[in-house]
Order: sequence, then structure tokens, then C-alpha cells
Amino acid sequence: MSVSPAFADTLTRRRLVQGIGAGAALLGLAGCRSAVDQDKAAPAGAQAGPRRGGTLKVATLADLTPALLFTQGPIFSIHRLVFNTLTRYAPGGLDPQPELATAWQIAPDGKAITLTLREDVTFHNGRPFTAEDVVFAVRNLQNPQRSAQLRATALAVTGFDIDSPHRITLRLAHPVTNIFDLFEFMVISAKESVEDAVLGRNVVGTGPFVWKTWTPGTSLVLERNPRYWVPERPYLDAVEIRVVPQPDALIASLRSGQSHLAAGLGGRDIAPLREDKAFNLREYDQGSGNIYLGVNTSVAPLDDKRVRQALSFAVNRDRIVKQALGGYGLASAAPWPKTSPVYTDADANRYPYDPTRAKALLAEAGHGGGLDLPLAFLSTAPAVAQMVQFDLAQVGVKTTLEPLDPAKFQAQLIAQTMPALWTGTHGFASNQPATLAVSAYPFNEAKNTSKFTDPQYTEIVQRAWNQTDARSAAAKAAYAELSQALLDRQFIIDLAVLTNVQPATANLRDVRQNRYNATVLDDAYLAG
Amino acid sequence: MTAAVVTKAPVVAAPAKRARNPYVQGLLTPRGITGLIVVGLVVLLGLAAPLLTSYAPTFQTSNALLQPSGEHPLGTDEIGRDLWSRVLFGIRTDLIVVVSAVPLGALAGCLLALVSVASRWADVLVQRLFDVVLAFPGLILGLTVTAVLGAGTSTVIVVIAVVEAPAFGRMLRGAILSHREREYALAARVGGAGPARLLVRHILPNAADPLVVQIAVSLSIAVIVEGAMSFIGIGVRPPEPSLGSIVSGSVMHLQDHPIYAIGPLVAISAFVLGLNLLAEALNKGVRR
Amino acid sequence: MTGYLLRRLPSALLVLVLASFAIFAILRLIPGDPATTLAGSDPSPDTIAAIRADLGLDRPFLAQYFSWIGDLLSGDPGRSYLIGGQITDLIGDRFGNTLALAIGALVLMLVLGPILGVLCATARGRVPRALLGAVNSVSLTVPVFVTGVLLVLLFAVTWRLLPPGGHQSIVADPVIGLQYLVLPALCLALPGSAVIARYIKDGVLQALGEDYVRTARSLGVSRRRILWRHALPNALPPVLTVLGMQVGALLGGAVVVEALFAWPGLGQLAEQGVARRDYPVVQALLLLLVGVYVLVQLLTDIAYALLDPRVRLG
Repeated sequence: MSVSPAFADTLTRRRLVQGIGAGAALLGLAGCRSAVDQDKAAPAGAQAGPRRGGTLKVATLADLTPALLFTQGPIFSIHRLVFNTLTRYAPGGLDPQPELATAWQIAPDGKAITLTLREDVTFHNGRPFTAEDVVFAVRNLQNPQRSAQLRATALAVTGFDIDSPHRITLRLAHPVTNIFDLFEFMVISAKESVEDAVLGRNVVGTGPFVWKTWTPGTSLVLERNPRYWVPERPYLDAVEIRVVPQPDALIASLRSGQSHLAAGLGGRDIAPLREDKAFNLREYDQGSGNIYLGVNTSVAPLDDKRVRQALSFAVNRDRIVKQALGGYGLASAAPWPKTSPVYTDADANRYPYDPTRAKALLAEAGHGGGLDLPLAFLSTAPAVAQMVQFDLAQVGVKTTLEPLDPAKFQAQLIAQTMPALWTGTHGFASNQPATLAVSAYPFNEAKNTSKFTDPQYTEIVQRAWNQTDARSAAAKAAYAELSQALLDRQFIIDLAVLTNVQPATANLRDVRQNRYNATVLDDAYLAG
Repeated sequence: MTAAVVTKAPVVAAPAKRARNPYVQGLLTPRGITGLIVVGLVVLLGLAAPLLTSYAPTFQTSNALLQPSGEHPLGTDEIGRDLWSRVLFGIRTDLIVVVSAVPLGALAGCLLALVSVASRWADVLVQRLFDVVLAFPGLILGLTVTAVLGAGTSTVIVVIAVVEAPAFGRMLRGAILSHREREYALAARVGGAGPARLLVRHILPNAADPLVVQIAVSLSIAVIVEGAMSFIGIGVRPPEPSLGSIVSGSVMHLQDHPIYAIGPLVAISAFVLGLNLLAEALNKGVRR
Repeated sequence: MTGYLLRRLPSALLVLVLASFAIFAILRLIPGDPATTLAGSDPSPDTIAAIRADLGLDRPFLAQYFSWIGDLLSGDPGRSYLIGGQITDLIGDRFGNTLALAIGALVLMLVLGPILGVLCATARGRVPRALLGAVNSVSLTVPVFVTGVLLVLLFAVTWRLLPPGGHQSIVADPVIGLQYLVLPALCLALPGSAVIARYIKDGVLQALGEDYVRTARSLGVSRRRILWRHALPNALPPVLTVLGMQVGALLGGAVVVEALFAWPGLGQLAEQGVARRDYPVVQALLLLLVGVYVLVQLLTDIAYALLDPRVRLG
């Protein structure tokens, strides 16, 4: 390696200077328009009131799956952008408001509901909306291929009487407490386009935005519906939904101003934005599902209710909310969010963290010497399972963790082949309590993953479902009974209600969500 | 999973009396000594893990994401576990995986090589098999094997063994084929040595040099494969720590708690670098 | 020559057929099927059964296999169950992104490699030389997911110069698109750059030691001129060979880099496909991989045959 020293010296220096030059050029490039920092030139003093125009940019963790168009999923939903529903719940509760249906009348025996429909509504393809479209919407959800979780409720509709193009009566097999849950869930789509829709070619509804272009895995563009039946709405010209499949990158795209709204983030992902004044962390009160510890009641000694209750006392729910959910959750032994008609503080705190009591219950059941059980979990969400494992170990219940990938996890849930314990998430506790019991498979009275059957539970579920008036005292009593049944039997040990929190830039106003977490942008606007 | 094999194929010298063991000669260079020290340190930390921390790697507290302190030299992770302890025991997990997977892969590769030099048909079959393994990027292979077998330490070991086997197999096959034609082998055959004896007494000892170098290279690749698998969530089962799974956990917190990533990153880098230095040193020694 | 090709073709086809069957069978060995991932959250068993029937997953195994092969032969790899797009479009789309990443990495490799190589060859003094050697070793050996996390920590967390991940089309928006490309491409380029640097360093050192260079130096030819006109060109040919090998490594490394930086390329498509049991997508991707590999092997053999008539005849 004999190189003359002087030779090397000048060369290195020259190279170095050139290298710095190249670096500066790169920074210069970054300086002209950055993918990292937001444009600070935006005017501060925004004028009052909504502003017409602009493209709302949404960043979401997962792309939509056209085959699941009529399903509620964890991803950003276009249900209330492209479509409308018959009725919608007023914010903060379960009070139905007119949307495509302007009025409704429930028969005295509860076995029929007559709807009056809007007459000025047309689909994006120009065809007017009529009662036939309601028939199609119900039948569409009855089709098992659509994976609609409210299928059981749709199946309770046994017939249709069309009085006029804008007046229809749905005949019901029995009184249905959660019929407005169905109406909130059921989007009205143009039947001539449904086959295209589930393949992602074209989606036609009556909603404020029109399906424009979809690039699988990348982006979806929706444009303003110029003939929307709500006058002067929507304010936005277009909605552009981009897929950014990684939390950090999603938050970065929000920071850089490349998106206004981030969808699909968990509470823990949002932590970096909490102190940032440039963003609104909007919380929606219906929650976004629950995390739970499932119990296979066919595995001894978990067939003993006392053992299941002991497990429930053993888990520190507050720590799970704090550490696994970044504080965005409600530690609760009951599945209901605070806006549910059946929520009570007492139910939420029915199983406080109490290892001593857990041990006592285990000893009472004859398992003071400890237990050894397998615990399955979704490999993409290891935190909760590890925390449950640690807490259970403290009361002498040793568990072996079994990671399952999403497909395997789902397959075992359906096939009832879960091991003794598993951690997972469920939805459908935010609306009428009956919806949980007839829509979410873990709670199904006839067949569920826990292999739990109890004629009394079945009877309680049926009573909660078959009420004529969801707001009557009888209905409320039935709900309370359902809640008590779940809390007592503990075949699903609910741990926490997830807070539904969506970060958005501060200039995005009046975004709403329906009770199934579908984003509503009818009144949304980007302030100047 | 970049296969960072850059050591040029060692030129296999004809057997000659050497003054000193070539391995020792290679290791006693600055490069070899640095490698020995770094790898030795990492291995020592892993082996002595229980003595170096008072926390169990799975012990959780209510203090998540703490900054480093005297109590927790590297802070805590998202569910309140001591990161210093997790890194130490993570090294231990990696050691177990690597030390069992590489010999397994080497053995499988060598056996297949022996089969393939025995018959022409077997040769075609084995070579195509190696082709198929090499045609898939390692991680895709890992994903598929994990999907079939389920995630866990033994799956990681199997994947690493499968990924490593072709390198050993090809190397041994090449060495045997080239030695078979050499004078001493011909001489031995003329002298009446049977094929088995020829193989065991003459060819294998001479083919050992490239294998030793390949083992060092493979160890570092094994650390990388374990890390990459755990990183995308198909590695060692929680709550057991592994270096890759700790990095994977830290990625969720790069923005709000960057210190989380430092420990496992340093450990993996040191381990892999040290092993590569050893491989290079051995290679130099063998080629001298 | 044609005769040789005809003799080689059956074995190549055999590999493809065997691979197609293996891929098809292994995917179905994996517990859980597309119907389970298609059914959304909290599904009922009826739903799963209906979807399974709709996708034809309840038909006999061999019938499914042959209908797939039949579709393939008629030029239709099918549609993704989950994403809904035509597979040809999907793969084309993602291939473009992976290609952009690979080209970005290649460019960086060709810039960084020679710079590092020349610096290593001409560095003076123990400390700079040791430092450069260390940089080289680190880039070479440290795995992509480690350098990736380090790059994010440096450029996206500490300095906030570049986004920590994500993607924007370079064609649609070059300024932003390039910023998204820099980190993943750099991460992918580092090991290759180090390899190139080594070759350049060796080549340059060798050339600088040649007699004619010494003579030229003594005749007063400038140092820079010697390096640029003599030493560097001498070092380049082996680099080209290495580059060919690195292209393969680029595609392999892309899986981790795409996962880390949320880059929507082929690696990500494959990972999601396996995780969600999107049979048609995974089948097409894996078979494509095998096909490319077989093709490369065939071309290599043909090249050898052209160069060496004995192979053709033997």
C-alpha cells in the first residue's frame, strides 16, 4: 500500500468537498418542498364558517378490500362517503334521525316497520332511488358472501310490502330491538353495480362523494357528488385516500401536510402527536371495539365459572389501558362503551384488579396449587397477551403463549379450535346491546368459540333481541339482564373498550363518524 | 436478509506440511484478534446474563418506557420490562438459535453433497433442490415455512438450516470433485484405497478449510436471519427476548422513545461484525 | 445450437412444473384459508362456508390445481381474492415500485462505492484508514433492518430531514417522491457499495503499484490524472461483474426494506399475500420468481454453450 502521502491528501480533501457539495444539493432539494415538515406559510387567522372547496387527503394503514365492502372492518370505511343509510343515530346516543328514510312507523306488535323514503334522491349513475333499492339492500346483507355482521338482524326481515315507490313496509319474524342498528349499518347501493363493486371496479351509491379511481394498495380517489340530495353539500371537492401501511410513516405524512386525517392508528401510535398543537386528536364516543381474553369452557378446569372469574380478577386492566393502548381506552369488565344504554360504572368495575381474591377463588375451586394453560394470541398484537400472561402468572396460572398469524387465528376462532385461552378483539358493543349478542360471533348463544352453551343465556339473549321498543323499560331490563349474564359467566373476559381516536390537522373541521366508525364528511371542510 | 458473503472462495491448496495451524495464524492478525474480542465479549454477556442483571427478562412493572437509569441501564420497554436484561437474554436466545441451526444446516448440506457425489442422478436432484431454495429470497422462505410450522424458536432454527444448507453442500461438493482428480487421491486409489476410505482419510480433511470459513460466515448470516424473522414478527415466541424481536418492538417507538432501539442495535451489529472479522481472518489464514 | 436448446428445455420445464405443484400444495398446507381472512371481523361459520364455496375452495385439490394451471396457460393468472385487482396489474404496479427502489439503490451504490473505494485506497495515516475500513465493514455486514432503523433514527427522528417511511410516485411528484426514496434506497445500497468499494480499492492499489504508474509519476504526470486515467479505469472491469451479482441481492434485501419503510413493492405484496392467504397472488409471485431463476440459468447455460462447443455436443 505504497501511496505517496501528498497524493492521498489532496485527493481526500477534494473528494470531501465534492461529497459535501452533493449533500448540500440533497438538502437543497429537501428545502424546496419537504416530505417531512408542513408548509408553515398557511395563514393563521382562519375566517369563520365553512369554506367550500379543497381536497381532503386521508392516510390509512390498510387499503379497502372490495369483497368486504358491506362488512364493518377495522379500516377506513367509505360507507358514509359513497353511500347513505336509511337512518342515522344522533351523536352521543341511539336516537334515530332521518336520512334516506324521512319517517317510520313500527307496528303495535313489533312485527313490521313502515318507512317513508325521500323522493329527491338519485344514485351516482342518475337512476332515482326507490323502495326497490331498500329491498335489495336487505337481501344483499342476507347473502352470507357479503360477510355482513348484522346478517342475523337482516334475516329477521321476512318480507316486503311496497305501497308506493317511496313507501315500504318490512315484515319481521319477531320484534327486533336493534332494527335501527341495521339501518345505521345497511348502505343503500345501486343493485346494478354491486357485482362490480365487490370487485373494486366501480361503487355506486347516493352519497356525498362519487367513486372515481382506485389503485389497489395505493390510493382511492372520490369526487364531490354535484347532485347530492343535501343542498350545498358536501363542501369538499374531493377525498383522496392513500394507503401508508406503517404507523410512523402515517404520522409523518400528517406532519408533512401530505394528509389531513390519519385512519387506523392505535392509541399507542398516536403518543408522539399528543403534545402537538398543530393536530386535533378527535375522540369519538362509540369506541372502536374491545380487547378481551377468551376462554374455552370445554377445557377443564375452565368449565368452572369460579376459575374464569378468578382470571378476570387477576388481570390488571388499568395497566393494559395505560401500556398497551397508550391510555386511549376504558378499563372495563363489561363490553359497553360509556354511551351505550346499558353502561354502568358498577359493571365496568365488576372485576377490579385483585390478585388475592383471584387466588382465593382458585383455591376454592380446588386449584390453589396453580394451573398450566396455553394462551393463543394474534402474532401482530403481542403486547396484551404478554401482559395477561404476566398477570396470570402472579396468581399461579402459568400460560404458554402460542402466536397465530391473522388467518390462522381467524380459522381457529371459527372452527372452535382455540386452546384454553386466547386474547383477541371484538366489536359491536357500541349500539343496541342485542346487536352484540346476535352479531359478534364470540357472543353467539347457539355456537361460539368458547363452546359455551347455557339455555338461560340463550333465553336472555332472545328476550333482549325481541323487544318492540328499544327504549321501553322492559327492553332496558332485558339489556341489564344480558350484561349481568355476560359478567357472571365470563366465557368472554372483556378487558378494555378501545377509544376511537383520530388525529387530524387543526384546519380540518366537522368530521363525524357514524356508530359503526364510518367517517362522515357531509359537513366537513378545510378552514382557510 | 442480505447474504453478506464476500469472502472470496478460498483457494484450496494442495496438502503441504505447515509450520503452524493456518487457523491460528489467521486469528493472530489484528483483524482476527479484534473479531475474537468482540465475539468473545458478546458471547460472554449472553452466557453471564443471569449474573449481570437482577431483573428477569420477562418481569413487568408498571413503569413503561423509562429512560436509562442506575436501576435500568437501558431503560424499560413498552410493557415495563428491563431492557438491559432483555438484551442480555436476547443474546442468549440468539446464541442458542445460531449454535444449533448452523451445524444442522452444515450437516444437512454436507450429507446432501455426499449423496450427490455418489450418483449422477442424485446429483441432478440435489442441485435442483439447492436451486429451488436459492431461487426464493430467504425471508419469503421463512414466511412460508413459518406459516406451515407455526412461529417459534424451532421454526427459526429450521429456516436458518434450510437457508444455510446449499452453501455448505455446494462447497463440499466442489471440494470433493476437485480433490478427486488430484494426484494424491489418484495415488491413493492406485494404492488400493476404497472410495469410503479415500473420502474419509484423504478428501474430507482437505476439504475442511473452506468449511471452517463457511461456518464463521454462516454464523453471522444466522444472526441476521433470526433478526430479520423476529423483526417481521415470525421469529422467537414472546415473551422470550431475541435481539431481532427487541428491535422489532423498538420500531414502534422510534419517535417517542428512540433510546429503546440502541441496545439491541449495538448488540446485533457487534455480533455480526465480530463474526465477519473472524471469517475474514480465517479465510486469510487458510489462503496463506 | 437449436438442438442443444431443445435438449435443455425439458429440464427447465420440469423445474417449472414441479415448482408450480409444490407452491400450490404448500400454500394449502398452511392452516387458515382466504375465506377466513375475507370474512372480516367477528364472522359466523355460515359466512366462511359461503365464501369458500364462492371461491371454489371446496373443490377437490387436483381440480383446483388444474384449473389454476389451465388459467395460467390461457394467460390469466386470475384476480387477487383480497385486493380485488387483476394480478397482472397488481404485480406490474408493485414491480414498478420495487424497480424504482432497486434503481435508486443501484445509483447510490455506483456513487458511494467508488468514492469509498478511492478514499480507502488513497487514505493516509492509520486512523483515517482504520476509520474508513470500519465504515466499509459496517456497511457490508450489518443487516439491512439494523442500518434501516439507524438511518430512520438519524434522518427522520433526530434531524427530521426525510420521512421515516411511505411512498410517493416519482413520476407523479419527483421532488417529494425522491425524498421518500432516499432512505430505503440508501439502506439497500450500503452492502453493495461496500463490496464495490473493496474491489475499487484493490484495483486502484494494484494499479498504483504498477511500474508504468511509477514511471509516469517520476515524469511529472499529475496525481489526479494518474488516478483518473490509469488507476480507476483499471479497477472497473471486476466491478461490473460484482454489480451483476448485487442486482440479485438487491431484490432479496427489498423484502425487509419494504417492510421497514412501508414501501409498496413486490416484497410487501408477497408478505401480505402469505399473511392473508391470498393464494392467487402468492402463487403467481412465487412461480414468477422460479421462472426468472430458471430463465437466468438457461441463459447462462446457453452463453456457456456459445462459448464452448464441447458443452453443445457433450
